Amino acid sequence: MPLHPALARAVAAALSGDEALERSDRLHFTDAGHGWDRFGLHPDYVALGNAVAGPLYDHWFRVRSEGHEHIPTTGAAVLAGNHSGTLPLDGAMVWMDVVRHTEPPRVPRPVADYFVSTLPFLSTLFARCGVVGGSRGNARALLDAGELLLIFPEGVPGIGKRFSERYQLQNWRVGHVELAIRHGAPVIPFGLVGAEEQMPQIARIPSPVGALPYIPIPATLLPLPVRYHLAYGEPIHFDATPDQADDPVVVREGARRVRDAVARLLVRGLSRREGIFT
Amino acid sequence: MMSVLVTGATHPVGRQLVHQLLSDARVGHVLASGRHGDPAPLPNHARLSHLPLDLTKSREVHDVLFGPARDLGVEVVVHLGRTPDPWRRGRSAHAGDVEAVRSILDLSDRHPTIRRVVILSHAVVYRVGLDLPILVTEDHPLNLDPRSPQVVRDRVEADLTACARMGLADCEIVVLRCAEALEVGTGGQLVDYLSAPLALRPLGFDPMINVATVQDLVASIDLATFGHGEGVFNIPGYDTLPLTAAADLWGTPTIPAPGRWIEAAYAWRHRLTGSRFSWGLNRQRLHFGLVLDGTRARDAFGYVPRNPVAWPRGSQRAG
Repeated sequence: MPLHPALARAVAAALSGDEALERSDRLHFTDAGHGWDRFGLHPDYVALGNAVAGPLYDHWFRVRSEGHEHIPTTGAAVLAGNHSGTLPLDGAMVWMDVVRHTEPPRVPRPVADYFVSTLPFLSTLFARCGVVGGSRGNARALLDAGELLLIFPEGVPGIGKRFSERYQLQNWRVGHVELAIRHGAPVIPFGLVGAEEQMPQIARIPSPVGALPYIPIPATLLPLPVRYHLAYGEPIHFDATPDQADDPVVVREGARRVRDAVARLLVRGLSRREGIFT
Repeated sequence: MMSVLVTGATHPVGRQLVHQLLSDARVGHVLASGRHGDPAPLPNHARLSHLPLDLTKSREVHDVLFGPARDLGVEVVVHLGRTPDPWRRGRSAHAGDVEAVRSILDLSDRHPTIRRVVILSHAVVYRVGLDLPILVTEDHPLNLDPRSPQVVRDRVEADLTACARMGLADCEIVVLRCAEALEVGTGGQLVDYLSAPLALRPLGFDPMINVATVQDLVASIDLATFGHGEGVFNIPGYDTLPLTAAADLWGTPTIPAPGRWIEAAYAWRHRLTGSRFSWGLNRQRLHFGLVLDGTRARDAFGYVPRNPVAWPRGSQRAG
């Protein structure tokens, strides 16, 4: 049997006390009638996700974050930042950071690559915590509903970058800016320092399963206990009408602005940190 | 006062629609047709005529439309008739599901009184895939997979046949792509699936599903009957929830199993008991989910699902 919401809630309470439950109870989400939203999110699983990932956030990666005031408290918005680390723990930590540090609490909706939907168990757990498949229709519907999207414009090439390419932003896709312009939503850039060193990748082998892009061979069995430094930048508002979301020049220029903002946040974060683990 | 022809009137949706139309002062006469040999549960009513109609026979369809329907001045045809058994294959099933739609549209186009045709389609026409949204709008890709069961291919063809004529015919054409009604007696796939002593579900997956009630489907058809303009409209139901939660509320235990086992188990169940649930018909949506977005129907003719499924074990939060 899948984990019943009440059981998820009980486990969350046992692992992290009442605080995570209190926050998840105050989450804004669109209940489709039975406690889940139309994409499968359920607040009790958000609490569970928080409780399970809490030790990673607090003790393993010891996340330090700043700039939460830039995340809008309501309305459609897009969080966009660098992606790295072989395993998508960066996404989990940003998700958690936003849930913990927004008031009233917001749950970002991470937009995942298609193959995530094929993963048994994980796909369901992720969906309960707010992850959606990376189709344009899903993103459009969520922004229409005033949700906060979490997008990594580098995609799989970002998480799979070589150690020698750390902090070098890969091909920066433009879809997030097109969506933002079309919905009149701001993009909040973020830079995450630390994840790029957590699990150096030494090789990759072709996947025997069609949907997986590849199987990474990391240098370490577990992610290293690097410290995450997460910084959100000022919201970028595009001076464009929704019709201009179809203008490739406008969209490319917008994406360049977001990319530059993320790059600046990374440079600042790297210059401030004293070491990979501190 | 408007007269309406309803095909498939002996199906639970058709039956309730006929009652609804008869209670509507705007309706002059209802011509209700069902299959030959169907029991006739429709009431005796001065404004109701009931006649058997084999939709696989184009001559019969013609003679009804240009006989009683013309004589009564029918303005709207509501086509609900379709093959009830998804396991049926072959020319006869195709004729009932596809050629009947083609005939009705052909005939309506040159009919002296018919000005509007409402056709009941189904969410099964949509493709479900990893790269596609869970929340499905009307421009969502259709399931054109040649490996799909015939019932899916036929329903897609019927749907496209209607869509291809929109804007070209003299009469208005409305296609309603409906969520499945989760009510005993409707012959729905999920009803059969959940009515078993236990249900097998894909290991590691718990998709979001959307289910409707007969009452809401009838409300949407009624609104479309009296509406203006044409187009394709999704008709979602009130209840959106994970498959396991639906099973829980229905009182059916589920067992996770690999897809191949599930396919074999339900094929055997069909052979042994004649049950209607077909894994081939539901494989994708029971892995990845499908929820209809009803925004267009709401904006065009004010349809909003209002009636939750009467779950045998109740719901803590629905309503």
